[in-house]
Amino acid sequence: MTQENEKPLIELNKVVKNYTTEAGVFPALKGIDLHIQRGEFLGIIGKSGAGKSTLLNMFTGVDQITSGEVIIHANGKSVTLHEMSENELALWRGRTMGVIYQSFQLLPMLTLVQNVMMPMDMSGLYHPRKSRERALELLEMVELSEHAHKLPTYISGGQQQRVAIARALANDPPLLVADEPTGSLDSVTADHIFQLFENLVESGRTVVMVTHDKGLMPRFSRHVEIVDGELIAPSPSGRRLGWGQEGIK
Amino acid sequence: MRPRWRKVFSDLVDNKARTLLVVLSIAVGVFAIGVIVGAYKIIEADMGKSYAANNPANIEIRMSSFDDVFLSTLRKVDGVKQAEARRVFGVRIRPLGETQWTSINIITMQSFEENEINLLVPVSGATVPLKNEILLEQDILDEFDVSSGDTIEFQLSDETIKTIRVVGIVQDSSTDAIDFLSPPLGYISPKTLRFFKQPEDSFNRLYATVETGQDDEDHIKSVLAALKDKIEKNDYFAWRTFHSKTHEHPLESTVNAVLGILMALGILIMFLSSSLIANTLSALLNQHLRHIGVMKLLGGRDEIIFRMYLVLLLAFGLLSLLIAVPAGGQGAYALAKYVGDKMGFSLLGYRIVPLALYIQIAVGMLVPLVAGFVPVIKGSKVTVQKALSGDLARESGEQAEKGAERESRTERFQLKLTRLLVDRGIRIPRPLLISLRNTFRQRNRLILTLFTLTMGGAIFVSVFNVRVSLRNYVQVVGNYFLADVTIGFAKPYRLNEVEQFALTDPRVASVEGWAFASAEILDVDGSNADNMDILAPPAESKLVSPLLVEGRWIQKTDVKKIAISESIYHTYPDLKAGDKILIKINGREEYWEVVGIFKFVGMEGTIAYAPYEYISREQNMANRSSSYRILSNNHDRSHQDILAKDIDLYFRENGFQVTDTTPGLSMMDDASESLDILIAFLLIMAMLTATVGSMGLAGTMSMNVLERTREIGIMRAIGATDFEIIRMVLVEGLLIGIISFGLSIILAIPFTYLLSTIVSYATFETPIAVVFTPTGYFIWLGLVVILSVLASVIPARNAARLTIREVLAYE
Amino acid sequence: MTDRSQPQLASLSEKPLIEMQQIVKTFVNAAGEFTALRGIDLTLNEGEFVAIIGKSGSGKSTLLNMLTGIDHPSTGKVIVKGVDVYAMSESKRSLWRGRNLGIVFQFFQLLPMLNLLENVMLPMDYVGMYGIDERPKKAMELLRMVGLEEHAQKLPRAVSTGQQQSAAIARALSTDAPIIVADEPTGNLDSRSASHIIDLFDELSSRGKTIVMVTHDPSMTKRTSRTVVISDGILVNETIAQALPLLSQALMKELSEKVEKIHFQPSETILRSKESVEKFFMIAKGKVDIILQGRRKEDLVISQLSANDFFGEIELIRGGKSIASVRAAADEPVELLAISREDFGWLMKESPLTEKAIGNIVQKRLEEKKQADRRKKRKLLGR
Repeated sequence: MTQENEKPLIELNKVVKNYTTEAGVFPALKGIDLHIQRGEFLGIIGKSGAGKSTLLNMFTGVDQITSGEVIIHANGKSVTLHEMSENELALWRGRTMGVIYQSFQLLPMLTLVQNVMMPMDMSGLYHPRKSRERALELLEMVELSEHAHKLPTYISGGQQQRVAIARALANDPPLLVADEPTGSLDSVTADHIFQLFENLVESGRTVVMVTHDKGLMPRFSRHVEIVDGELIAPSPSGRRLGWGQEGIK
Repeated sequence: MRPRWRKVFSDLVDNKARTLLVVLSIAVGVFAIGVIVGAYKIIEADMGKSYAANNPANIEIRMSSFDDVFLSTLRKVDGVKQAEARRVFGVRIRPLGETQWTSINIITMQSFEENEINLLVPVSGATVPLKNEILLEQDILDEFDVSSGDTIEFQLSDETIKTIRVVGIVQDSSTDAIDFLSPPLGYISPKTLRFFKQPEDSFNRLYATVETGQDDEDHIKSVLAALKDKIEKNDYFAWRTFHSKTHEHPLESTVNAVLGILMALGILIMFLSSSLIANTLSALLNQHLRHIGVMKLLGGRDEIIFRMYLVLLLAFGLLSLLIAVPAGGQGAYALAKYVGDKMGFSLLGYRIVPLALYIQIAVGMLVPLVAGFVPVIKGSKVTVQKALSGDLARESGEQAEKGAERESRTERFQLKLTRLLVDRGIRIPRPLLISLRNTFRQRNRLILTLFTLTMGGAIFVSVFNVRVSLRNYVQVVGNYFLADVTIGFAKPYRLNEVEQFALTDPRVASVEGWAFASAEILDVDGSNADNMDILAPPAESKLVSPLLVEGRWIQKTDVKKIAISESIYHTYPDLKAGDKILIKINGREEYWEVVGIFKFVGMEGTIAYAPYEYISREQNMANRSSSYRILSNNHDRSHQDILAKDIDLYFRENGFQVTDTTPGLSMMDDASESLDILIAFLLIMAMLTATVGSMGLAGTMSMNVLERTREIGIMRAIGATDFEIIRMVLVEGLLIGIISFGLSIILAIPFTYLLSTIVSYATFETPIAVVFTPTGYFIWLGLVVILSVLASVIPARNAARLTIREVLAYE
Repeated sequence: MTDRSQPQLASLSEKPLIEMQQIVKTFVNAAGEFTALRGIDLTLNEGEFVAIIGKSGSGKSTLLNMLTGIDHPSTGKVIVKGVDVYAMSESKRSLWRGRNLGIVFQFFQLLPMLNLLENVMLPMDYVGMYGIDERPKKAMELLRMVGLEEHAQKLPRAVSTGQQQSAAIARALSTDAPIIVADEPTGNLDSRSASHIIDLFDELSSRGKTIVMVTHDPSMTKRTSRTVVISDGILVNETIAQALPLLSQALMKELSEKVEKIHFQPSETILRSKESVEKFFMIAKGKVDIILQGRRKEDLVISQLSANDFFGEIELIRGGKSIASVRAAADEPVELLAISREDFGWLMKESPLTEKAIGNIVQKRLEEKKQADRRKKRKLLGR
């Protein structure tokens, strides 16, 4: 464990992702090197199409890698992601990371508490009765215990995202990965969700978040920008301070 | 409940329409199988049992008149257990106030109370007729409505019309069981004989049962031979004999053959419904891709996903069994009852047939498993990326990274074709183009849909073709009975006398007097092999146009020569024209030469033709006959009916003792009618397959619409009205219908051959010529158009009802 | 609707083409009510190229849906070219939309079973534009215009997403609708394709089409003739959005509620030199002159500010009196938006980016003033 703590949680070494199509090879990621330390709140910022979600898919193991490697040191194991089979990966992922999407991805036919129980059911880490208790606790943490037995359609978007976060925490993973988690929420709700992530970082979890919203930059403990498949150095603010209408003639 | 099972449960319950579609499509097949297996087992058990329950005669001998004394002699013959004598004669009856006569056979029982053979089962009213009362067999109800207490009219051969009271309706499942074309029966006591101007204390039929070996055909035959021997030695004349087992209905093998055909169709329906299920399930799995992706993201492995969907499949199976098992049980009983009524036997009561139940359970559970296996395996193996990409990539805007793909071969072909047409100046409007291309978008789904619909259509069309083929065959058989009117007399009249009278009617073109003889075909060892009726028309008769298989037709100068029907092959498989066979005629064993072999319905023994010239001389009836065929210039059925009535009246008025007058085609109609029962069954099966087919189409159309809601939203956004949207979906449905129709036309050809061969072997024991009719094609075209429209109209309306926001909104 | 075949001439005449009156949209679901639009009044004129910007969840797409007739407002009216959009049935509205609006979506733009040419022809089929033989020619012209002539026979799947979007624009133009409505048209594209699409819009706008584009990317506003900012269902004052683009939209919205409107006649003095300044001004309409007043009343106009510019910031930041006089320009009246010193201070605290940017401007302006002062001095001395 002590040795593990010296290593970064996630290592991305020269990660390249190409999409091959009839039109030719499209490089989505052009050799990304990135180390993410334990306890970081890392923002990956980029415009639509910059490759930020592809990058996220690389360390969730959801998508195949073209070259390079992704190593994750978690739960006392070092795992090179793309050496695992899809099946092994599924179980590993379920136990190691919680993934949160812009569109919540709750299963519509299950109540909130059942949604939160799902990862525990899948990973087999908790006894069914225990998992229910734990799910209710998590819902309480995100202040939704009163809605625990409702279906996702009957709560608001912000509440759904809170459930998704509770679900991501179900197996108590060291890492949370979020893809535009506030993207479809109004500003006040988005802020609540963001605060929830900040609290989780304070309590020692590592959070990696992908967003296109530069306004969130100051709130990350660190951020990287991705442009056309490459990471660029964090820029000082005001790079784009254009005063187009500036009136001094 | 663990969340995964909770999900499976919700999948089952939430989308009720889809669950219903899947469950019903399994249920249709399971139901069909259940009905047929159940009916098969019920009929198999009850047909024999109910037949045996009435103590059917093992032996029936139609012979010259005999009395009580001779009966007791016959009772003493070895092996005979019981023997009863009856007098059977024909009269015509009709309800009061009706004009149409119905011929019936009246059976006179010595004593209704002591009767032991061919027992009657009461249906309503009395079971014992007193003097001048009559019981009627329930078959009469097919002809006209009558109930106990009614008075009916009857007419004797001497023209006398009297009335008699019907005191009861009974069921007689034994008498004439072998011949379901025989006329209805009536029963009177000996005291009523005088009322019918029949001799008393005189019988013309013997019914007997055997002591042992009631189901041993050889033993029964030997007892029959002993009885016949006795009869002939006492100078009586047995002109017709029948024998049958106690526990086997004489028509059992025919019924089984028909059920066998239905079984084959049932299995086919099962196949079709499983392709429907495969279709629905792969669409379901497609819709569930996102769920699968999410579950995998949360740590779900292939096995877990696989197991979840397997359980879903089993649940579908179980639900369908809940519908199909009770419905199948009822259906089986209803079918068995229908067959029982038609064949004249009763059932032992409603019950679930265990075998049918087991088969239904096996099929109901296996079919969804087999049909769903591939989609489920595919679904559970899908990668998270793929599962979520359809949805997530769009939302996070990463689609651009995927870049452009190349068109598939089908798509390139379509594009090229459209261009080619445009070059020729043929412009397909885009809305139509959309329907056309949409049709071919989900290729596997299209193939499965077409498969079910085409099979349904092909069977449907084939059934019509088979029906016409059978009728045509009956028509061919009718060539042996070409007469427009057949008139029978109670005693022989001179040929020229009858001819003279007949020709006074200008409608009559010619008259022929025929002779008849019965004979038995004997095996080489001298044992009785088969009954043979010898029909003896004048050798130059225009009223028989035989279908010769071999040899020649009869000639005027033939002596001891016959042309014989194909069924002779049962006894002499290698018989050729010119061979001689041993027959027993007029109590003598003689070798007769077979000059020709012809086709005939193989239903009732063997038929042979010999020239009237020879037979009448042998019977000392030269230039006389009691049966005449009258030929007219007009062969219309209605014309024949009128002519028959007029001739009947005319001869009676002139003092002839007419027994019956039959318009030419009525016998054919009876034959066709019984075939129609079979056809009706086939049609029911065809309708079932068509139902499965249209369910498949409806499912496909709603899946297609569901998957294209976004596109429909776009169309709406660029100006498509409700009408355009509905038309788009309807045209697609119609197109699938029409394509399947085209394929059905082709597929119906082999199907017709197959089906008619099976059916004709089962019923006639000989192959028949296949005839095609446009009727089936037209009806199916109409049906398929209606079905296609119906199957797409609801999805189409739903599609038009979608507002754009619902399908495009993503805020 | 009647003269659609006549291409609109480029004119920036202030003729209202689209009027949205008091639009409220409330979504009701089991979770409760959610008001996406809270009383929007918006008038768009013929020939304008309008960007509606706002973040996800701000209500911008809902607003667009109100305009296109895709969704119903809960209350309020939408009148396009004098036609009340919501007085029609859904089916009729579809036809109306096909003739009057060209819609460009972010996703699912083209029908996948039709090639590009056929996709462009489809709206013509639906609304019955042009003769059946004329349609392919017209569609081909449009594809040529967006540079897709050689791909006309390909299915959408076989071209890049940028090309798909270009084809979608061609389709939006196919019925020669006077209004083009685009929902995040570049949201799905790499930066080069995005700029190509905006170029296209630019050209269309110059040809007289009215273009309404929804985007979450504020940088797009540089290319449009007008920007409407929406935040949490309320339109942000356009002047604020233009004058202080670095404010977060939430702040813009809040500020919109704090500003005070002040009107001045032509040549009326707004601020006098050396006067103490208590407000920050943004120009909503008209022009103002910045004047250094000479002792002998020889005024020197050092600068002219026009709509969306601001003044008064120097004094508020540095404390002190007005360094110059400000007067409404002689030719037209002026409308100003004023923010109190207090609110301005709050604003600077809330938006460090804006503070920094304004700081830069202050530097620049002071520099300019210094130079002007020098010039004035030189002028005086030289005389």
